[in-house]
Amino acid sequence: MSPPPLLAVRRLEYAYPGGIVALHGLDLTIERGRKLAILGPNGSGKTTLLLHLNGTLRPGGGEILLDGRAVAYDRRVLDQWRRRVGLVLQDPEDQLFAATVGQDVSFGPLNLGLSEAEARQRVGEALTALDIASLADRATHNLSFGQKKRAAIAGILAMRPEILVLDEPTAGLDPQGVNQLLEALQQLHEAGTTLVFSTHDVELAYGWADQVAVFHDGTVLAQGDPDAVLGDRALLRQAHLQPPLLLELAQLLEAGQGEPGWPQPRSREALLARLRERLRDRSA
Amino acid sequence: MRAIDHHAWTNRWRDRHPAEKLAPAGGLLLLSLVAPPLTTGPLILASTTLVTVRGAGVPLRTLLQVLATPAAFLLAGVPFLAVSVDFANGFSLQLSSAGLHMALETTVRALAAVSCLAFLTLTTPLADLVPLLRRVGVPAGIIELILLVYRLIFLFAERALTGRQAQAARLGYTRLDRAIYSMGLLAGNLFQRALAQARRMEVGLAARGYTGELRVLRLEQTLSWWRLTASMVLIGLIGLAGNLLACGWL
Repeated sequence: MSPPPLLAVRRLEYAYPGGIVALHGLDLTIERGRKLAILGPNGSGKTTLLLHLNGTLRPGGGEILLDGRAVAYDRRVLDQWRRRVGLVLQDPEDQLFAATVGQDVSFGPLNLGLSEAEARQRVGEALTALDIASLADRATHNLSFGQKKRAAIAGILAMRPEILVLDEPTAGLDPQGVNQLLEALQQLHEAGTTLVFSTHDVELAYGWADQVAVFHDGTVLAQGDPDAVLGDRALLRQAHLQPPLLLELAQLLEAGQGEPGWPQPRSREALLARLRERLRDRSA
Repeated sequence: MRAIDHHAWTNRWRDRHPAEKLAPAGGLLLLSLVAPPLTTGPLILASTTLVTVRGAGVPLRTLLQVLATPAAFLLAGVPFLAVSVDFANGFSLQLSSAGLHMALETTVRALAAVSCLAFLTLTTPLADLVPLLRRVGVPAGIIELILLVYRLIFLFAERALTGRQAQAARLGYTRLDRAIYSMGLLAGNLFQRALAQARRMEVGLAARGYTGELRVLRLEQTLSWWRLTASMVLIGLIGLAGNLLACGWL
């Protein structure tokens, strides 16, 4: 029997006080070492789901399994749970509270009971991982939005979670900011951290995740390989999403070429290289 | 406020231990209150200006701007010290030399005292000063509160500013009655946002293992006893010089 997934959500139900149903019958599986994108339009309940993944919200029904065991909601279990699952909120202002960046990042490690020396080391590591070591002694309120975002992620990273859950990590960032962030996340991925992030950006999910869950109306319509899930037009239409441009162009290129004998290009560069190849073949 | 905060975080003396700035500021403040003002005051004013501008590298303009507000209050209030009102035979205003002397003393004394505080606030961020409060036994809860307020002030100041700009863009401040109405809406909105912000921050902190105590690393700043002692000696010399001048011995 294969080992149970790191974190799994089964038949999750949640209604906000006042009776607005946010999640119903939602299933999601988070396997170790994945880069999972939760894809859905704004207001579809993605944040509500993410708040369940670290026990902030308690489901009205269904269960959440950590290493195959259903979680409980007492203090001790919650502490352990949040050590393993780090949640980065969408707005960094909701997370940063200390006067300097270094002090803010030290908050989590000190809560883990680490000594000041260990905490200091963790702070250094986390800031370096996000390429903001030079900001350690800067005032939190004087940072740019992109810097705040990275400081907020560093604050979670310094706790060395097994799963890093990010709510709309690229929202509000400029293209360069997005690239820097993705680079940092890629390194975490390579170091073994499981990544889960919500987004409404189909291109980002297609280009960067190795698994996609399409979220619609409080439930996950499909979870799986990006090519298969995002190639399903009917499914995407139902979720009010558009297929990724990269995938559509690649499919156009392949039309009439028989079975694709190569993996789909998943980045601009790969697609452009493929296009050049095709044009060369044609002129030859 | 933003200008003060900016210089506090970026001046040349930013990395010096806060006690090296708090002690001379406090010492000079005390001196300005007890020493003969007309001679000591200008000495204090000159030395705080010198260390703020030449030492910490804060532009003179900024220092003057910071001093301008209290100076304006001072100028508005001080003339009333110079005159005395007499109701004995009807009503008469009298300008006495004693009154003038007192007004001058008060002005110099107050300016000197304010300049000490200006030096401190322009060179030391609040975040550096608060840990010193912990040393003198202020409870952790109060210190956490001060730091949280410090962090949130900037957040809400910015929201207030952008909110005001957005209202002004829709002509919310063109007439007095509309301006009052707009201001009311803005204030109500900010209260609501503050509450929502607090709830979301609770979630954010809980995700990082918050259990009721906002503990963070202390800043690594080493106290230079040499500088601290030197500043104390200088304060002593200023006090001595001020007193000698006042007695006419110098």
